[in-house]
Amino acid sequence: MGILNIGTLALQANQVALQTTGNNIANVNTPGYSRQTVQTQALPGQYTGAGYIGKGVSVESITRSYDAFLNRQSSLAGASQAADTVRAEHLKQLGTLFQGGAEGLGAAINDMMNAFSDVASTPADQTARTVLLTRLDEAARRMQAGAASLNDLQSGVTQGLNEKVANVNTLAKNIADLNDQVARALGSGQTPNDLLDRRDQLIRDLSKLVQTSQIAAPDGSIGVFIGASHPLVLGNSAATVAITGDDFGDPFKSKLSITRDGTTIVLDENYPPGGEINGMLKFQNEDMTEARNLLGRITTAVTTAINDQHKLGLDLDGKVGTNLFTPVTFGSDNIRVPMAPANLNSANAGAGSLTMAISDVTRFVASDYEISFSSATAGSAVRRSDGVATSFTFTPGSTTPPATRGTFTFAGTGTGVIDGLALDASTSAAPVAGDRFLLKPFSYAANSMAREFSTPRALAVANPVAATLTATNKGSLALSGIAAQTQASTAASPIDNFSVTFTVGAGGTSYSIVDNTIPNIPVGANIVVASQPYTSGQAIRYTPAGAPGFALTLSGQPASGDSVTVKQNSFTSQNGGNATAMMNLRDVAMFDGAALTDGYAGMISTLGVRAQSADYSAQVSTNIAVNAEKDRAGLSGVNLDEEAAKLLQYQQAYQASAKMIQIAQSIFETLLQGLGR
Amino acid sequence: MSVNSFSRLGTANAYDNTLVNLQNRQATLANLQESLSSGKKITSPSDDPTGAAQAERALNRIARIASDQRALEAQRSAITQAEGTLGDITDALQSIRELVVSAGNGAYSAAERTTIAGQISGLRDRVLSLANTRDGNGMPLFAALGSALTPFAGPQSAAPDYRFDGLPGQTATHVYAIPATLDGESAFMAQPARDGVFNIKVGNSGGGIPAGRTLTTDTIAVTDKTILGTTANLAAATAGAPVYPAYTLTVNGVDTTTTPGTTTLTYAITETPAVSTPALTTGTTSFPTGTKADIPVTVIPGLSFNFHGTPALNDTVTIAPKGSVFSVLDSAVTDIGSAANANAATQAVAQTLTNLDTCMARISAVRGQAGDLMNRAESITNINSKRNIEQESNRSRAEDIDMVKGISDFNNQQTGYQAALQTYAQIKKLSLFNFIS
Repeated sequence: MGILNIGTLALQANQVALQTTGNNIANVNTPGYSRQTVQTQALPGQYTGAGYIGKGVSVESITRSYDAFLNRQSSLAGASQAADTVRAEHLKQLGTLFQGGAEGLGAAINDMMNAFSDVASTPADQTARTVLLTRLDEAARRMQAGAASLNDLQSGVTQGLNEKVANVNTLAKNIADLNDQVARALGSGQTPNDLLDRRDQLIRDLSKLVQTSQIAAPDGSIGVFIGASHPLVLGNSAATVAITGDDFGDPFKSKLSITRDGTTIVLDENYPPGGEINGMLKFQNEDMTEARNLLGRITTAVTTAINDQHKLGLDLDGKVGTNLFTPVTFGSDNIRVPMAPANLNSANAGAGSLTMAISDVTRFVASDYEISFSSATAGSAVRRSDGVATSFTFTPGSTTPPATRGTFTFAGTGTGVIDGLALDASTSAAPVAGDRFLLKPFSYAANSMAREFSTPRALAVANPVAATLTATNKGSLALSGIAAQTQASTAASPIDNFSVTFTVGAGGTSYSIVDNTIPNIPVGANIVVASQPYTSGQAIRYTPAGAPGFALTLSGQPASGDSVTVKQNSFTSQNGGNATAMMNLRDVAMFDGAALTDGYAGMISTLGVRAQSADYSAQVSTNIAVNAEKDRAGLSGVNLDEEAAKLLQYQQAYQASAKMIQIAQSIFETLLQGLGR
Repeated sequence: MSVNSFSRLGTANAYDNTLVNLQNRQATLANLQESLSSGKKITSPSDDPTGAAQAERALNRIARIASDQRALEAQRSAITQAEGTLGDITDALQSIRELVVSAGNGAYSAAERTTIAGQISGLRDRVLSLANTRDGNGMPLFAALGSALTPFAGPQSAAPDYRFDGLPGQTATHVYAIPATLDGESAFMAQPARDGVFNIKVGNSGGGIPAGRTLTTDTIAVTDKTILGTTANLAAATAGAPVYPAYTLTVNGVDTTTTPGTTTLTYAITETPAVSTPALTTGTTSFPTGTKADIPVTVIPGLSFNFHGTPALNDTVTIAPKGSVFSVLDSAVTDIGSAANANAATQAVAQTLTNLDTCMARISAVRGQAGDLMNRAESITNINSKRNIEQESNRSRAEDIDMVKGISDFNNQQTGYQAALQTYAQIKKLSLFNFIS
């Protein structure tokens, strides 16, 4: 009866094989499905004198085609791809916020600067003044619009991060559950292929969000780790992750943190860098910060320079100019102290507080700064954009009268000024080692930038000082420019009556400055600057003690005895000298040596380079991920042609097995018929 | 019994990959199409950051050149107008000059001279109003380094009769700009130390030189400019700030006997305001008796003039500084109009002609400067248009698409995409299942 038995076993085995092939075909498009194969084995033969007679076949197990290495490669490459792609996509969006051309901030700033030229041509023309005010408004609006779109992008990023973090928590919990189920199923002795596939797929999904590493446990569960090996899933328990602020509670930065057993650990998005969350964090913490700083720097530098120059001029009513733009000031948002969840110390131990002010707009670097004290009297300032550290010494202030403020002295400059920002501390500042401050000079500048007034008359385009070339001059002197140097506090500049007189001698041409308000007794008593060499086209500067100064630029060659008188301008209504001075700000080297007008071009190219390199990385890591997935799918994926072939193969085997039973039956019949005779 | 072959493909994965490739090709094609339709190579700064920045900078320069050129046009139009105005003024002064010459006609009566003076007066008003012309934007054309809306104020009762309400001097030309005003002080005002414009009147005992005797002077010659400069500064520091002191010489002695053959004139000198040290009170001139021409008078520091004719007791010589072309014209009107006889007329005509010539030379110098500025404006315009073309081509190079290359790329991509679609469709048709039936 062996043949009937063998036939039945063969039928059963081939049916299982057909079913498995069918299952493969059914799951051809199921993500993460690993094709399954029936492992059959021959049953031990029956011993006879003639040797072992085979007893048929049985299904030993159904295995999945799976390679842990390829799987891990694919999941790692997928994590990098996800991080790079999400960052590249966001950078592309960031790039579109700051376009070049006529609609850009750069064009608005340039139009504004060029509008000063029209006012300089026709100082009394209300139309030119009104156009200038409109241009000022437009520039302020575009600065604000830039900040607003950055804020919109930021809120999109924040929302995206929160959704992704929720996903991570769900996935972690599901993986933990599956770990439990797998461990129990493994108890039966067979591998639960579909559960394993599902768990692998969940881990792959999780890796796309945040890069993971996995360690298999003996019970069949998998431990999933994120960051620098912090366990997210261990056995059947999952930790939770959340988005938290950085050390200084910087609202434009955040970190991923993991909480297990009540302990929270803040992770660094760069180690390891894979996964969409890390990509977005990197985008937010580095790229967005840079964009904000670049925009803020342009805003701060341009508006401050214009405000400062405007305050040197006089308006149509002879009043000193006021701020044209909202002045940029620094508050507690710009000077931050550590707060939870700061890793090292949650708050500064010292009672110090810092003050920051603008010192030189042409020296700005688009960066945040971290000030840290190594002792009560020393420390270093780290420029975050490039990591350059400048050490400083600190002299604490004194509260006993006369009160003094705490002062910094930076190495290299010898002053309390770093990159155009003047720093000092309150009188009560008593820092202790380990105290840290974060300076964000540029993050907020553009948020509320606006034009300060809309009265064309109040535009202070007139020069408070004027120069007169003495009518009896014999040389070829002509006036290239005259400008006030510093600001008189309230009233019109009291600069009055200085004469610059020239002497041509064997050693060349020299000039002296005479204060005409001082009696010339004894002779020479009124000379305030004696015998300086004169160069045509180079400014002659003089600032008397306690009064505003002037910069006088002459061209041409004087004759001996020629003179130029500098005095208060009495013809302000027809004068556009200060408009010319503001217009001349166009060529001031302001942004890493680039002229004011080119600041925006630098900004879009910086952001463009970032987007471009992120795009390249995304392409490279996509290629790697595609190949890794191809390799994985090459082993684990279902190939329909293969399954078709197998269908035929098993179908034939099944038909053959049925034939076997038929033959057994006919043998049996033959036997019965023989007996019946 | 799984078959592990290196070239094995997961069906779903193969489809996915092909699809991704197709999508990439489609995206490339769409980008090219966008570039072709917009004409821009760079649709986003990240396509080519350097090019984007270059294009942005070129755009800035182009806007800047346009604004420079607009300012230059305003400046040029002002200077052109100023040049034309100086031409009109020269014409008017030329007419005045002809009138003055005609007033010297010995046959004219006092009434005729009064008529001529009236005509001169009319032209004087025209010269003054021309000098105060403003450009299209309401800025005075001759404002120098800055002035009141009406830079030339006068005539005024107190000295000086005409005042330049402004800051003398000429603005320098810049690389891409020229001044929008001319130095009106230099054009119309006269500085004693620079130009030496004085008007001399002769008379006797409060009236004119009696008929039958002739006495005239030539015009002032400056002998020492340094003294003039010092004296002018001293005068300017006194009340009323006249440009220079006025002098009156009264002949109070004619001595022909002390030295035979030599006549010595003695004068009383009045200096108003009295600034010279030591104070000027008296002076003498000696000349060979009988001389009727070129009797030199050098008693006033830095200045000298010659008598022509016969000086006599109680003759007076009044020397008045003239601070501007307008004051010269004013004294012409007064002196010619009030000349009672031919002697007075001759004196007035001679003084006026010399002074007018000095003033016209000044105006013509400034007019020459205006011509230079207009040339300069022309050459800056040329430079600007060259810069514009240059920047425009920079911009174009940086951001405009090369159409030929663009279309060729597009065709290539299109062919590639088509091939990809066709092969995808064909491979999709191939399946073992097609043969199982």
